[in-house]
Formats: sequence, structure tokens, C-alpha cells
Amino acid sequence: MLKTVNLSKIFRTDEVETTALNKVSFEINKGEFVAIMGPSGCGKSTLLNILGLLDNPTEGEYYFLGREVSGFTEKQRANTRKQNIGFVFQNFNLIDELNVYENVELPLIYLGLSSSERKRRVESALEQMQIMHRRKHFPLQLSGGQQQRVAVARAVVANPHLILADEPTGNLDSAHGEEVMNLLASLNQNGTTIIMVTHSQRDAEYAQRIIRLFDGQVINENIKAGKVEPGTL
Amino acid sequence: MFANYLKTALRSLMRQKNYALINLAGLSFGIAAFILIMLYVQHELKFDDHLSKRDRIFRVVEIQNEPGVGEQHVAITMGPLAQAMLSDFPQVKNAVRLMSAFNVTAVSYGEKSFREDHLYYADPSVIDMFDITFIYGDPATALKEPRSVILSEKTAVKYFGDATKATGSNLLFDKTSFTVTGVMEDQPETTHFFFDMLMPIATAEALPGFEWMKGWGSNSLVTYVELDRTSSAEEVNRGFDDFLKRHVFSQPDGWQYLEMYLQPLNEVYLKSGHIKFQNVSAMGDASMVNVFIVISVLILLIACVNFINISIARSVKRSREVGMRKVLGAGRGSLIVQFISESAIITLASVLIAIGIVELALPELNKMLGTSFSINFVSNPLFNVGLLFLFILISLVSGSYPAFYLSRLHPIAVLRGISGRSGTGKGLLSKFLVVFQFIISVGLLLAVFVIHDQVNFIRNKDLGIQYVNRLYVGFGESGYEKIRVIKQELMQHPAIQQVSGCSYVNGVAGSQGPVFVDDSANTKLYVRYGFVDDDFFSTMDVQFTDGRNFNGLQSGDINRAVIVNQATVNALGWDNALGRKFVFPQSADSSGKAEIIGVVKDYHYYSLRSPIEPAVWIWQPERFKGVVIKYAGSGKKDEIRSFIESRWASVYPGLPVQIMEAPNYLTQNYKGDQTTFTLFIYFTMVSLLLSCLGLFGLTSLLIEQRTRVIGIRKVMGGTVSQITVHLVKDYLLLVFIAGIIALPAGYILLQKQLDEFAYHITINVIHLIVPVVLALLIAFLTIVFKAYKAANANPVIALKYE
Repeated sequence: MLKTVNLSKIFRTDEVETTALNKVSFEINKGEFVAIMGPSGCGKSTLLNILGLLDNPTEGEYYFLGREVSGFTEKQRANTRKQNIGFVFQNFNLIDELNVYENVELPLIYLGLSSSERKRRVESALEQMQIMHRRKHFPLQLSGGQQQRVAVARAVVANPHLILADEPTGNLDSAHGEEVMNLLASLNQNGTTIIMVTHSQRDAEYAQRIIRLFDGQVINENIKAGKVEPGTL
Repeated sequence: MFANYLKTALRSLMRQKNYALINLAGLSFGIAAFILIMLYVQHELKFDDHLSKRDRIFRVVEIQNEPGVGEQHVAITMGPLAQAMLSDFPQVKNAVRLMSAFNVTAVSYGEKSFREDHLYYADPSVIDMFDITFIYGDPATALKEPRSVILSEKTAVKYFGDATKATGSNLLFDKTSFTVTGVMEDQPETTHFFFDMLMPIATAEALPGFEWMKGWGSNSLVTYVELDRTSSAEEVNRGFDDFLKRHVFSQPDGWQYLEMYLQPLNEVYLKSGHIKFQNVSAMGDASMVNVFIVISVLILLIACVNFINISIARSVKRSREVGMRKVLGAGRGSLIVQFISESAIITLASVLIAIGIVELALPELNKMLGTSFSINFVSNPLFNVGLLFLFILISLVSGSYPAFYLSRLHPIAVLRGISGRSGTGKGLLSKFLVVFQFIISVGLLLAVFVIHDQVNFIRNKDLGIQYVNRLYVGFGESGYEKIRVIKQELMQHPAIQQVSGCSYVNGVAGSQGPVFVDDSANTKLYVRYGFVDDDFFSTMDVQFTDGRNFNGLQSGDINRAVIVNQATVNALGWDNALGRKFVFPQSADSSGKAEIIGVVKDYHYYSLRSPIEPAVWIWQPERFKGVVIKYAGSGKKDEIRSFIESRWASVYPGLPVQIMEAPNYLTQNYKGDQTTFTLFIYFTMVSLLLSCLGLFGLTSLLIEQRTRVIGIRKVMGGTVSQITVHLVKDYLLLVFIAGIIALPAGYILLQKQLDEFAYHITINVIHLIVPVVLALLIAFLTIVFKAYKAANANPVIALKYE
């Protein structure tokens, strides 16, 4: 599915140079559920952004679906992204001015699908996320859990190969968090590759593998989340 | 896709109603002001557009350079010019003379009697050159016979009640009967030469006392020529040298210095400010048109800047949406289209509201300008095209910055909550735009104050002649006997203090010509002629600096004595004028000489725009055109008026009486300036209002976004007043900077404008300080309330907010 080789990201301002990622190499296979963990500022989100083709690395290689994409232009990235990757954010990032249905529909519009096709897919995604009854509501009228379900629906509606989730339960109480994690797990069972950044050990339990980052480097790659000693974080 | 944009745009507007309203209001008023100004500009540019041969018609203009008045451009010409040009210049296809029928006082039909302002003598070829369309009568013969007249439809209805009855009927011009030979369509309002009645000019030439029309010595009528399609004005202009040598310079006692050129008809209305003696009914000013075009564009810019600034400020809120759209695969192009569509929606709504505002404002504007502007989508295709163009332009200008700025945002930065604050760049642009708006506003304010003082200066300047509590009544019939009778009759009223016969209320006749000094060189001086009696100077409070006034009837001063103004004495370089003599063809003295008996202080007989030219007054009763009446300020005006009317009717039966308040003569002179100034004030207010509206919107948004900082400051111990000052200070600094930039630029431009007046104020420190202080004050009031409210808010809420 994807593979990174010596991936580095350095942020430069006039005075400071910060190495967010330092020669990160790993591989993720199709159908995997991988959690990326690490303390604040370790480079988790930077890594997720590069993996999600929202950003380019400073150095290193990134193979996505067999193609080296680290040198892609913004336009190429946008094209690859909208066909293959779905995103779920901690703060949902729903568009307040659009209702549930329209939010979920948005990626399909950018894909250029016909309105009947969009309707079919949006309704199926909403059914799947059990949020169909709220389709006319606006984000601000929904609970956090419901908003995140909409966000997940939006992430899956275009049938992406990969879903990137950035602390998807960070803004949710435990019950709603669990609900969202179950949704992600079932998507994974249906074959979607999922990469999730999280602080939560509980959420990480859902993954098959954990990649631990510290100061921009991979310090540990476990196949089974359960094998990690609690307390090392 | 577009439906999605539309939905987002509308809902985003609804969610922030205040800012949507500010945007709508700003753009609507800006566009409305623009449309109003453009209607005015279109009206000004449309003059004489209705003439099909306008590109080939020219007015002959003379350049004279005679001692006394210096070089001057003059639009009146000699009687034989038209015919001579037709025979000498093969390029000239048609030539028309037009002359005001100033000798006709009243036109009557049965009981109806009117004074006509737009009554002209013309060559018959005027019908062809000026596209006169006949409703009744035959164009080929209508102006052939002497004592025939053609009327506009409106005038025909005025006299005959029904235009069909006009042709063949007779009208009485004073005591002479004229036959109506045709009824023409009314002239449009937008013509520089408006006529209601036309008579053959040959009729005037045949009148006793009009012999000068046949000679080359006197300028009294306007000559228009039509060139054939292949010829240019330059060819004719080149030929004028020889032409003048042949016809004019060969005349004894003729012009010594004279040039001629053709002025395109297209320039007559707007570009004739430098030309004297214009026998026209309307005159525009190209530079004023330009000033208003600039103002309208500036107002529109201010409105667009408001839109842009509020969009930038709101971009913090919109950036998350943009980020998400980008994550989902939106390209820059589609985002740009989205934001431009949003601005297009607001612009469209604003244009519609603006049209409503214009409809409401037009009656008032029309009243003020004496126009009949209207929005007409059907008959004014240019308006539709302009409106469409305006809509597209504003949509693009207002939408482009947010579109390009927001679409450039990096989705990660946005989604991580770093929001779009990409350093100081954006803040700088907003500040720059605010400064820009206030440069315009301060500049316009400065202009308002300076022009206001100039207008007041002109109004209150001691002109050297007193018009207050004076009336002027014109009459047509000459004959000194009747004048003496009416003077005596009017003096019967206790409130009437003095009555004087004169050529006009200002003492001069409007004509200009040479006087010859009785010296060895027979020195020639060009002067204004004035014809007044012995009561004029005291009636109008004009002061003598030397010598005496005309004495009574028995003194022999009539036609023998001359009074001059100081400018005449100066022009001739005399130390003492008294006792010197002019040679006067009309003098009653057998030697043809007239003696200077007095010198009056220079007074402004025309507007302050022009310097005082040499003037010479003679007591020549047959040239009097009316009387000035001085009355006691305590007298009842209405009663005095009706008294004058009754006595008038007894002395001049059948002659309609027209009483003019003398001060109105002055107001007439400055009417154009006054109207322009009033418009200017209105549009300055609009621009200031829009700038403040924008500032209010911008600061409200920015203060809202700074609630966290405000909260932190409060937690750290900042007081409400400290924080308010902190918030307000920055913006006031911007307004101040705008003032510093606006003043020198405004000063230079205004000084240039003032220099057009021969007498004007100087721009002083107060003029410069007040606009800046006022702008600062208005800006302060605009933002202080919002700042105080923010500073007063509970810091806990503020800190939670972000």
C-alpha cells in the first residue's frame, strides 16, 4: 500500500530549524490498521500529513500505491488524494454552512460524479454510519459523536483505499469514542487500510500494529498493540 | 457544483448577518453613488449627440488680442463671415448664422404675451444643419419669407393651445406681426444651443439700426459651418490667414490682430470654458466631469475595499472550510470560482439595491440639477452594458483577493488551527487598504472645507457694488420719456428709495468694443460698455475715486460725458484721467468727442472667476434695457412688487413685467459652482460613511478575533480603559498616516483649482488640520464602542472562546 524510505521533514523559519521527522522508514500493507503513537510534538501529525499527501517531505522517498509521490505537485497530490484517501480529524472539520448530507456529498462533487450517483453513495454512507435520520441537520446541531460519524461517512463515501484518522476520538467522551473506533474497525474488516494517530492506548488497541515516534524517529514498531508495555508512553 | 457554492455562500452570509449587512450596505451605496454620478456624466457627454452631422459641424472662434483685455477667445463673429466662408472655402458645404433676437421684448397672441428666452434669427440652412424636424409646414420654404417664424411644438401649444392651429397664424413680436410657417419638434434638453423660435436672419439684417450686421467690424452672431466629408478642420484653419487678410485686415479702422479657428461641435459644450461671448443656452465643464468620474471611481473603490477587508478579516473563520475543501480534493481553481461566485452574489444583490436607492434619490437630484435623469433600461442600452460591466468588475475586484488568498492557504496549517495568519502580510494589506480609504476621505474632506470657504468668500466678498435690496426690471421699449415717467411713478412708493435706468443690473451691457483716446496716436483700448443714468452709481453704492457723477438732465452730460473704472485708467497708464477725451462715433458732441468726468472704484460686474476689465460708462438713454430699484430693507417685498407691477402696466401697457431680485444675478453667476459643490458634499459624505462602515466592520471582526489576547491582558491586570486605548490606538494611527499622505496631495490639487478664480482664498493651517481631526474623531467614535465592549467582557469567556 505505502512505503517510506528515510523520510525527513524539516521546518525552517528565519531563525529556527526544526526537524519534525528524521529518516523515517516503514511499510504499511493493504488492509492493515496501524496506529501511530508518541508524545506531543514527536512528529505524528507531520507524518500523517505527508502520508495523506497534504504535504511533501523535505527528504526521502514515499511510495503510495507503488508510485513515488514525494515530488508530486500540489495538483497531482490533490488528484491522488481525492481518489484514494479519506480523512477523519480530531475536531471533525465539517463545514458549518453545509448540512450533513451536503458535507458527505462534497468529496463526490470534487470527484465529478453525477448527482444521482452522489445521492446513492451519500445515502449508503449515511446508512452505514447510522446518521441518515440527521441528514438535514447542520453540524452545529449535532453532538460531537454524531459529528464525527458524519466525518467518517464523508471519509468513506468515495470508497478510498486508505483512511487517515488524526486523533479521531480526541474530542469525544469515551462512549462516543468507542462508537467511532468500532466504525473504523468495521471499515478495516471490510478491507480499508487505516492509519490512525492517537494518544489513547485504548484506541490503539484496535490497531494491528503500532508505530511509535519520538523526536521524529521511529523507536518501536510492534505488530500487536497489546504487546506494548503500558506506562512506556 | 455551483449550487453548492451558492448554498455555502448564502448560509455563510446568514450566519454572519452583521457583516453581510455591512458588505451589502457598503456596496449598495457605493454602486448607487456611482450610478448617480454616471447618469450625470452620461448626460454631460450626450450633449449635441442628436445631431447627425455633429462630426462635420464646427463653430468659428476668434482669437482677439486687443489692448485693454489681452488675448481672448470669442465665439461671436461678423455678419458676412458665413457667406464669405461658403464662397472662399471649397471645404465648407453649409454655413449658418444664429443670433439671439435680443431686440424682441415680448411675443404675443391675442391676450397671451410672453418674454421668450430662446428666440433666434437664423439662416434657412439651419434646418438642414441642425436636423430640424417639421411637424407642420414646409422646411423648404419656412424661413424664406421675411417676418416668418417657426415654433417648437411646446411653444406652439403655449400660444395656440393646439399645435395644429399654429401654421398660418400671426404672432406679434413687440409691434411687428410674424407669420408662423412651421412647427418643429422640441429640441432635446441636451443641446448647447436651445431654440424655441426661429426667424430668418435676413429679417434682422433689414432692420433699421442693424447695419453693422453687414460689416466686418462687429461681432454679434454665432457662425457654424459644415465641412464636406473629405475635408478636415485643419485645412480650413490654414486658410484663415489669407481669408482674414482679404476680408478683415483690408478694412479701414478694422481689426489689427485677429485669428480664427474651427471648434468641433463635439467640444462646444464641454470644452469652451476659455471662450468669451458664448451665445449658448448651456455650458458644461470637462474638468468637472473628470472630477466626478474620479470621485465615483474612488467611492466604488472604497466600497470594494470594505468588501475585501471584511473578507480578509473573516477569512480566519472561512479558512477551516477552505482547508477541508482542499483536503477533499478541491483545486485552487474551484476555490477561486467559489469565492468569486460569492462576491458575485453579494454584488448582484447590491446592484439591485443600488438601483432602488438611485430611484429614490433621482427626484431630489433632478430638482437640484434641473435635469430629468432616469433609469431607463429600454432606451439607454449603454446603461445596461455599463451595469453589467460594473457587476462583473466589482465581483472580480472584491472577490479576487479573498479568492486568491484563501485558495492559497495550506490545508494543514488551516486544519491544525494555526489558521490563515500567515505572518504579518495579511495584516499589512488590511492596514494599507484602510489607509487608502482614509486618504480618499481626508482628501475629500479637505476639498469640502476649502471649497466651502471659497464659496463663502465669493458670496461675502465686497464686490464694490451692492445688490441686496435691489430689484431689476427689464423693458424692451426705449424712449427716455417713458423711463423718466416710470422712475417718477416708482418713486411714489415710500419704501422705494432710488430708481435708475441702465443697460443691465450690473451696469454693463454685455458688449465689448474699442474706444479711441483723443491723443496723437489715437490709442485704442478694448472696454466693456455700460449705459447708465445719473442715478446708477449711487443706487448701487458704487464708489467714485476721482471726479464726479453725471449731473442732471440739463447739464449736457448725456452722450457727452464718460465715466471710467480704475482698470481703464491703469490700462492706459494715466496718472490723471479727468478731462481726457475719447473719440466716440455716437457722441452728441459735434467733434465726436466725449470727456472723462469721473473714475469709479473697480467693481466686479461679472463673476469673481474673471478679473475686472476696463469699462466705460456713458449716459445713453436709448441703450437702456431696464431699471434698478433700491428699496428699504424694512419694506414689504410683496407689496413693493405688486406696486411695481401696477405702475408698470400703466406706463408700458401690454408688456409683461419681469422683476428680478438683484442678488439672484450673482447666484446665477455661481449657480454651476454651487450645484457642483452641493453634489461634492453629498458624495464626500458617502465616501466618509463608507470608509467608516468598512472600518467598523473590520475592527469589529479583528477585535472579535483578539478576544483571547484581550482576556490574557485582563487576567494580567489590564484595566478596561488601558485595553480600550490599546485596541483603538492602532487604527487611529492608520487614519493619521492617511491624513499625512492626503494633505499635501489635496493641497496641490486644490490650489490648482483655486487658481482658476481670479480672486480666491489661501489654504491655511486650519483647513489642513480640521479634516484630519474630524476623520480621527469619526474613526474613534466608530471603533471605541466595540473596543470598550470587548475590553469589558469577562476574560474567562474570552479565554475559552478560542
